[in-house]
Amino acid sequence: MILVGAGLALILAGGLSAVLLRRTPAIGERVFATLVAGGGIMAALPAIATLVDGRSRMVRLAPMAPGGAWVFGLDRLSAWFLVTVLATGTAIAIYGTDYLAPERHQRPTWAAHGLLALLLVAISGVVTSQAVVPFLAAWEVMAVSAYLLVMFESERAEVRRAGLIYLVLTHASTIALLAMFAGWSRGAAELTFRALADTAPAQGSSTVILALALLGFGIKAGVVPAHFWLPGAHAAAPSHISALLSGVMLKTGIYGLLRVMSLLGVVPAWWGWTLLGLGLASGVLGVFWALAQHDLKRLLAYHSVENIGIILLGMGVGALGIAYHQPVVAVLGLTGAVLHTLNHALFKSLLFLGAGAVVRATGTRTIDQLGGLGPRMPLTATAFLLGSVAIVGLPPLNGFVSEWVVFQALFRSGAADSGLRVAIVAAAGLGLIGGLALACFTKVDGVVFLGRPRSAAGVGATDPGPASIGPMLALAAACLGLGLFPALGVGPAVEIARSIAGAAPFRDPALAALDAALPRIAFLALALIGFGVLLWLARGYRLARSPVATSVTWACAGGPLTGRMQYTASSYAAPLLGSARSVAGIRVRTSPTSFHSHPIDLVLDGVVSPVWERIGRLAHEVRLLQAGRLRWYLLYVILTVLALLVYLGRTPAMAAGAR
Amino acid sequence: MTASPYVSLLAVLLVAPALPGIATRTKSLLTGRRGAPVLQLYFDLAKLARKGVVYSRTTTLVFRIAPVVLAAAVLVAAFLLPLDGRAPIFGFTGDLVAFAGLLALGRFALVLAGLDTGSSFEGMGASREVTVASFAEPALLLSLTVLVLVTGSLSLGGMLGAPLAGAWPVQAPSMVLAGASLFMLLLAENARVPIDDPATHLELTMIHEVIILDHSGPDLGLILYAGAVKFALFGTLVVSVLIPRGRFDPWIAVPMLLGGLVVVAVLVGVVEAAMARLRMDRIPQFLVAAAALAGFGVILLLR
Repeated sequence: MILVGAGLALILAGGLSAVLLRRTPAIGERVFATLVAGGGIMAALPAIATLVDGRSRMVRLAPMAPGGAWVFGLDRLSAWFLVTVLATGTAIAIYGTDYLAPERHQRPTWAAHGLLALLLVAISGVVTSQAVVPFLAAWEVMAVSAYLLVMFESERAEVRRAGLIYLVLTHASTIALLAMFAGWSRGAAELTFRALADTAPAQGSSTVILALALLGFGIKAGVVPAHFWLPGAHAAAPSHISALLSGVMLKTGIYGLLRVMSLLGVVPAWWGWTLLGLGLASGVLGVFWALAQHDLKRLLAYHSVENIGIILLGMGVGALGIAYHQPVVAVLGLTGAVLHTLNHALFKSLLFLGAGAVVRATGTRTIDQLGGLGPRMPLTATAFLLGSVAIVGLPPLNGFVSEWVVFQALFRSGAADSGLRVAIVAAAGLGLIGGLALACFTKVDGVVFLGRPRSAAGVGATDPGPASIGPMLALAAACLGLGLFPALGVGPAVEIARSIAGAAPFRDPALAALDAALPRIAFLALALIGFGVLLWLARGYRLARSPVATSVTWACAGGPLTGRMQYTASSYAAPLLGSARSVAGIRVRTSPTSFHSHPIDLVLDGVVSPVWERIGRLAHEVRLLQAGRLRWYLLYVILTVLALLVYLGRTPAMAAGAR
Repeated sequence: MTASPYVSLLAVLLVAPALPGIATRTKSLLTGRRGAPVLQLYFDLAKLARKGVVYSRTTTLVFRIAPVVLAAAVLVAAFLLPLDGRAPIFGFTGDLVAFAGLLALGRFALVLAGLDTGSSFEGMGASREVTVASFAEPALLLSLTVLVLVTGSLSLGGMLGAPLAGAWPVQAPSMVLAGASLFMLLLAENARVPIDDPATHLELTMIHEVIILDHSGPDLGLILYAGAVKFALFGTLVVSVLIPRGRFDPWIAVPMLLGGLVVVAVLVGVVEAAMARLRMDRIPQFLVAAAALAGFGVILLLR
């Protein structure tokens, strides 16, 4: 635990040095990157040790008034999230120095680096706190530093709006958590998590605790319908910050839900069904809305909603397994959720960093203005393609492994002899999510990287420098590694799931089958690659002996094709969105000579904003009373006194009392 | 370890190219034409393997590598099915997800290759292909869910093997529904009428064919062969559900499978002769119907 503290201190020192050395940014950023990387590795070591040996590492600081003891520590759950945070966070910090370098003279990039370090330490604090007060303190530092990072380009109105919405919602989340802990800790000896776990809340209050946890952590994780702060905030921030927010910070909501489950021990069935339902809604609607987007970063942000949905599906079926006393289903579901958390952190960060490279090289986030970037930015395109295969959940990458585990949990629930078996139907929903995600990422890859440029934006684009490419390739390698050797991720994830489910180590044929399947998945991945290589060589052998010509693309006997004739992202998604345009939130304006479509967020622009504006108008009308004139106020006083007198005079009992 | 899984895989891989030919021949005969030889695809494959290729200057490595990824994915998917009615070459718990994932990987590669050409026709085909696939995915999973519920097994080897035969007398309605749903999926996933028309001549009306407009030579051969094997794999799913072969000796089960595949191909031909292609916006309804059939099967089992 001392090593964790020292590592986090190093990260903070890195952030501080970026701030102090702002006059010489090149040196400051190098020191920043080195210290963050060193601190990240140092702090991750004890976490990896905990994942391997399962021993908890705790430290208890002297009591600080009024919060009681501040306990920090690593158990398996904390360690897993700490590794996730630091592995992706370090890669993102290094990328950030290169990404922001062109803006040194326009904006205070040193502040962004310093805040990034603070945010990383705050997230690490959230996942390692083992007491209420430090948890909430770290939670708030995280919320505020993330807000400041979102506002980095605050000269744009859309950024200020997104920042404001984020700020309001993140505080709604904090209030819910404050209320949850306040209610929970009433019977507890002190404010540590262990003490909370020892108090067994009554039936009614545990219902309130779970509902508040769902509200507070659900907002943070971006669960539909509380997702609407997410796309705006994540698109507004600089790309590497988006990666950190989308890939890592959202996961604190997932961490919180898992922590509450493990502290409560027993969860009711309604909580599991709610999680499952919210997971399905987030998953399907998230990917459906992503398909409708024209903005590359908003699209990726909606995919975070989708993936949070997949995580919730796993968590929901896991909670149902606990509620219905099916330990196998519980362990499988929670394993899938925990594993997908790490996997999503890796590939979503990778995709946002890739999107950042595209934005830097072309100056636009509008997908329909891009095209043909593959040959111009080969390394970025390769990394982004690998990230796409991973997020769609295709073998042989890591996304497949976690979705495979979630599917198994759903299928196993069907064997149960209770209400739990209905959960099996969610497997079809997960299949639909996979199919739509494939459609969405073939759209992104195809329209952005393949074909021809659609505008002048991407013609002169090139790959960014090694400090940007390196982190992307490292994340891609991690995705591939966890896909080829699934035991690396599944092994620790199963242990975490067991500790949350409270299941004593048990031997079950289903879990033994899971263990036995892991080497076969590795074999499947290797067979796939092996066959691919063999066929590729055979094809090369054949082509070396035949004429190979190059020509233009077949235009069906039409004239030469231009970039503008290609299918655009909107036309690509049109048949899928089809008549469900209103569900997808697409607003269309047409005239005899033009067609314009624009995606809105149904919850934000369709519900929240109109209601908010209505409240604002009402408040405006009430302002008539508050005109700021003394004689009016005197009139109000007199009228009130008169009304009271009349009231008192009319009420016999009161009149009698006065006499 | 017996040889029968390998022998049956080899047999299916050899017979696969005949199946589209049988379907087309059936359609021709029923509509009063003579039609192409049943073995036409073998001739085509042999010819394509010897030919050179033409690549568009717009295309990248993605275009060249896609046929290889597609063929490798379909081949590995074939390993997971118990073709001899007992055991696959290798299987594991939850390998049905891997089966669906491998087919999706092949589609992912092919669709990107289409977009790589920068042609609006191929973009259109790609868009339609992913639309069909998105609606097909839940139907496939619901059909497999029926089998999971009936057999209690999570691997294709178990689901399609011996336990299935025992389930027939008890769960016949669900099994029939799952089989029907899988047959509809076979039509959709293999670009047959009423979803797509392999014989159409106009690029605007194509789905699958238009994605591979620019592929030529051995690349096109790989795509066509992978398509034939995929047809055989879906055919195997249908045959295995409707005629469980787990109780037969493998040396009887394999010829039964091949006979069943021929019957499925003939049925596809009959469907093609009997009905026209659906309008593009009706396709989702067809696939939702397939999902609904399998869904009813699930409901019957859950009640």
